[in-house]
Amino acid sequence: MIRILFFGPVAERVQMRETQIVFTAGMRLQDVVASLGAQHPQAFDIVSFTAVNQAQVKDMQLPLNDGDEIAFMAKFSGG
Amino acid sequence: MTNPVRIQQEDFSQDAEIAALKAVSKRIGGIATFLGCARDFSEGRDVSEIGFEAYGSMALAEMNKLRSEAIARFSLLEARIVHRVTNVRAGDNIVFIAAAAEHRAAAFDACRWIIDELKQRVPIWKKETTPQGESWVTQHP
Repeated sequence: MIRILFFGPVAERVQMRETQIVFTAGMRLQDVVASLGAQHPQAFDIVSFTAVNQAQVKDMQLPLNDGDEIAFMAKFSGG
Repeated sequence: MTNPVRIQQEDFSQDAEIAALKAVSKRIGGIATFLGCARDFSEGRDVSEIGFEAYGSMALAEMNKLRSEAIARFSLLEARIVHRVTNVRAGDNIVFIAAAAEHRAAAFDACRWIIDELKQRVPIWKKETTPQGESWVTQHP
Protein backbone atom coordinates (compact mmCIF):
# COMPACT_ATOMS: atom_id res chain seq x y z
CA MET A 1 0.00 0.00 0.00
CA ILE A 2 1.01 3.60 -0.53
CA ARG A 3 0.15 5.97 2.32
CA ILE A 4 -1.08 9.39 1.19
CA LEU A 5 -1.03 12.37 3.56
CA PHE A 6 -2.71 15.76 3.22
CA PHE A 7 -2.08 18.77 5.42
CA GLY A 8 -3.51 22.20 6.12
CA PRO A 9 -5.34 23.82 3.20
CA VAL A 10 -4.94 20.75 0.99
CA ALA A 11 -6.47 18.50 3.65
CA GLU A 12 -9.35 20.91 3.99
CA ARG A 13 -10.09 20.76 0.26
CA VAL A 14 -9.71 16.98 0.04
CA GLN A 15 -11.76 16.65 3.23
CA MET A 16 -9.44 14.03 4.65
CA ARG A 17 -6.00 13.87 6.15
CA GLU A 18 -4.94 10.46 5.04
CA THR A 19 -5.78 7.73 2.58
CA GLN A 20 -4.15 4.67 1.06
CA ILE A 21 -3.85 3.40 -2.46
CA VAL A 22 -2.89 -0.05 -3.64
CA PHE A 23 0.68 -0.33 -4.85
CA THR A 24 1.19 -1.86 -8.26
CA ALA A 25 4.52 -2.79 -9.82
CA GLY A 26 5.98 -0.01 -11.95
CA MET A 27 3.92 2.69 -10.27
CA ARG A 28 5.36 6.19 -10.52
CA LEU A 29 4.60 9.35 -8.58
CA GLN A 30 2.91 10.83 -11.64
CA ASP A 31 0.36 7.97 -11.60
CA VAL A 32 -0.70 8.89 -8.05
CA VAL A 33 -0.80 12.61 -8.86
CA ALA A 34 -2.94 11.98 -11.95
CA SER A 35 -5.35 9.71 -10.12
CA LEU A 36 -5.83 11.85 -7.00
CA GLY A 37 -5.66 15.09 -8.98
CA ALA A 38 -8.60 13.95 -11.10
CA GLN A 39 -10.59 13.14 -7.98
CA HIS A 40 -9.71 16.34 -6.12
CA PRO A 41 -8.86 19.03 -8.70
CA GLN A 42 -9.50 21.95 -6.34
CA ALA A 43 -7.09 20.55 -3.79
CA PHE A 44 -4.37 19.84 -6.32
CA ASP A 45 -4.69 23.41 -7.65
CA ILE A 46 -2.89 24.56 -4.49
CA VAL A 47 -0.38 21.71 -4.15
CA SER A 48 3.05 23.33 -4.39
CA PHE A 49 5.19 20.65 -2.78
CA THR A 50 5.20 16.87 -2.92
CA ALA A 51 7.22 14.71 -0.56
CA VAL A 52 7.97 11.01 -0.72
CA ASN A 53 9.10 9.51 2.58
CA GLN A 54 9.52 13.00 4.12
CA ALA A 55 11.77 14.31 1.33
CA GLN A 56 10.65 16.84 -1.26
CA VAL A 57 10.43 15.43 -4.77
CA LYS A 58 10.23 17.37 -8.03
CA ASP A 59 10.63 14.47 -10.46
CA MET A 60 7.12 13.16 -11.03
CA GLN A 61 8.59 10.13 -12.83
CA LEU A 62 10.02 8.88 -9.53
CA PRO A 63 9.37 5.14 -9.20
CA LEU A 64 7.41 4.26 -6.07
CA ASN A 65 7.88 1.36 -3.70
CA ASP A 66 5.36 -0.54 -1.65
CA GLY A 67 5.04 1.17 1.75
CA ASP A 68 6.03 4.64 0.54
CA GLU A 69 4.52 7.69 2.24
CA ILE A 70 3.51 10.56 -0.07
CA ALA A 71 2.49 14.00 1.15
CA PHE A 72 0.80 16.68 -0.94
CA MET A 73 1.33 20.14 0.47
CA ALA A 74 0.38 23.77 -0.17
CA LYS A 75 2.91 26.59 0.20
CA PHE A 76 4.28 26.69 3.71
CA SER A 77 3.39 29.48 6.11
CA GLY A 78 5.21 28.68 9.31
CA GLY A 79 7.22 31.12 11.38
CA MET B 1 19.30 19.85 28.30
CA THR B 2 16.51 20.14 25.75
CA ASN B 3 17.03 19.28 22.12
CA PRO B 4 18.22 22.32 20.13
CA VAL B 5 15.58 21.71 17.45
CA ARG B 6 12.02 21.17 18.59
CA ILE B 7 8.39 21.35 17.53
CA GLN B 8 6.13 21.63 20.54
CA GLN B 9 2.72 22.79 21.68
CA GLU B 10 3.84 24.49 24.85
CA ASP B 11 5.46 27.90 25.12
CA PHE B 12 9.23 28.20 25.38
CA SER B 13 11.51 30.27 27.57
CA GLN B 14 13.95 32.49 25.69
CA ASP B 15 16.16 32.60 28.79
CA ALA B 16 16.31 28.81 28.97
CA GLU B 17 17.09 28.54 25.26
CA ILE B 18 19.88 31.10 25.49
CA ALA B 19 21.29 29.45 28.63
CA ALA B 20 21.37 26.12 26.78
CA LEU B 21 23.06 27.80 23.84
CA LYS B 22 25.72 29.43 26.03
CA ALA B 23 26.42 26.15 27.83
CA VAL B 24 27.78 24.69 24.59
CA SER B 25 30.86 26.91 24.26
CA LYS B 26 32.80 29.61 26.08
CA ARG B 27 34.04 30.90 22.73
CA ILE B 28 30.67 32.48 21.90
CA GLY B 29 31.03 36.23 21.43
CA GLY B 30 27.62 37.04 20.01
CA ILE B 31 24.13 35.55 20.03
CA ALA B 32 21.43 36.82 17.65
CA THR B 33 17.85 35.78 18.28
CA PHE B 34 14.57 36.01 16.39
CA LEU B 35 11.25 35.70 18.19
CA GLY B 36 8.19 35.34 15.99
CA CYS B 37 4.94 36.15 17.74
CA ALA B 38 1.25 36.29 16.88
CA ARG B 39 -0.27 39.53 15.64
CA ASP B 40 -3.88 40.62 16.10
CA PHE B 41 -4.09 42.06 12.58
CA SER B 42 -3.28 40.64 9.15
CA GLU B 43 -4.18 41.56 5.57
CA GLY B 44 -6.52 44.27 6.81
CA ARG B 45 -8.45 42.01 9.16
CA ASP B 46 -8.54 41.52 12.91
CA VAL B 47 -7.12 38.15 13.89
CA SER B 48 -8.40 36.54 17.07
CA GLU B 49 -6.49 33.26 16.85
CA ILE B 50 -3.87 31.51 14.75
CA GLY B 51 -3.78 27.74 14.48
CA PHE B 52 -0.71 25.86 13.31
CA GLU B 53 -0.44 22.50 11.63
CA ALA B 54 2.74 20.65 10.67
CA TYR B 55 3.92 17.58 8.83
CA GLY B 56 5.74 16.77 12.04
CA SER B 57 8.35 14.23 10.98
CA MET B 58 9.35 16.12 7.85
CA ALA B 59 9.26 19.51 9.56
CA LEU B 60 11.57 18.32 12.33
CA ALA B 61 13.95 16.72 9.85
CA GLU B 62 14.04 19.89 7.76
CA MET B 63 14.62 22.07 10.84
CA ASN B 64 17.52 19.84 11.91
CA LYS B 65 18.93 20.13 8.40
CA LEU B 66 18.53 23.91 8.54
CA ARG B 67 20.43 24.06 11.83
CA SER B 68 23.29 21.94 10.47
CA GLU B 69 23.46 23.97 7.27
CA ALA B 70 23.48 27.25 9.20
CA ILE B 71 26.25 26.04 11.51
CA ALA B 72 28.39 25.06 8.52
CA ARG B 73 27.53 28.06 6.34
CA PHE B 74 28.12 30.75 8.98
CA SER B 75 30.68 28.93 11.14
CA LEU B 76 28.33 29.07 14.10
CA LEU B 77 29.25 27.59 17.44
CA GLU B 78 25.64 26.57 18.08
CA ALA B 79 22.07 27.27 16.93
CA ARG B 80 18.61 26.51 18.27
CA ILE B 81 15.25 26.46 16.49
CA VAL B 82 11.95 26.00 18.37
CA HIS B 83 8.54 26.22 16.67
CA ARG B 84 5.19 25.90 18.40
CA VAL B 85 2.38 23.99 16.69
CA THR B 86 -0.81 24.82 18.53
CA ASN B 87 -3.45 27.56 18.67
CA VAL B 88 -2.10 30.95 19.70
CA ARG B 89 -3.52 34.40 20.36
CA ALA B 90 -2.11 37.88 19.85
CA GLY B 91 1.19 38.32 21.65
CA ASP B 92 1.84 34.62 22.06
CA ASN B 93 5.20 33.19 21.03
CA ILE B 94 5.37 31.17 17.81
CA VAL B 95 8.98 30.57 16.85
CA PHE B 96 12.38 31.15 18.42
CA ILE B 97 15.70 31.08 16.63
CA ALA B 98 19.07 31.70 18.20
CA ALA B 99 22.44 31.69 16.47
CA ALA B 100 25.71 31.83 18.39
CA ALA B 101 29.01 32.75 16.82
CA GLU B 102 32.40 34.14 17.76
CA HIS B 103 31.37 37.54 16.38
CA ARG B 104 28.10 39.39 15.83
CA ALA B 105 28.04 39.54 12.02
CA ALA B 106 27.83 35.78 11.58
CA ALA B 107 25.23 35.52 14.34
CA PHE B 108 22.99 38.18 12.76
CA ASP B 109 23.37 36.78 9.25
CA ALA B 110 22.67 33.22 10.35
CA CYS B 111 19.61 34.16 12.38
CA ARG B 112 18.07 35.99 9.41
CA TRP B 113 18.98 33.16 7.06
CA ILE B 114 17.44 30.49 9.29
CA ILE B 115 14.06 32.21 9.65
CA ASP B 116 13.90 33.02 5.93
CA GLU B 117 14.74 29.44 5.00
CA LEU B 118 12.35 28.04 7.60
CA LYS B 119 9.46 29.90 6.00
CA GLN B 120 10.34 28.49 2.59
CA ARG B 121 11.32 24.94 3.51
CA VAL B 122 9.60 23.71 6.65
CA PRO B 123 6.14 22.14 6.19
CA ILE B 124 4.13 24.15 8.67
CA TRP B 125 0.89 25.98 7.89
CA LYS B 126 -1.03 28.63 9.76
CA LYS B 127 -4.74 29.36 9.76
CA GLU B 128 -6.04 32.70 10.95
CA THR B 129 -9.40 33.17 12.62
CA THR B 130 -10.96 36.52 11.72
CA PRO B 131 -14.45 38.04 12.03
CA GLN B 132 -14.95 36.98 8.39
CA GLY B 133 -14.12 33.35 9.20
CA GLU B 134 -11.07 31.15 9.07
CA SER B 135 -8.48 31.26 6.31
CA TRP B 136 -5.19 29.54 5.63
CA VAL B 137 -2.21 31.80 5.17
CA THR B 138 -0.30 30.95 2.03
CA GLN B 139 2.15 33.82 1.81
CA HIS B 140 5.34 34.17 3.75
CA PRO B 141 6.52 37.80 3.61
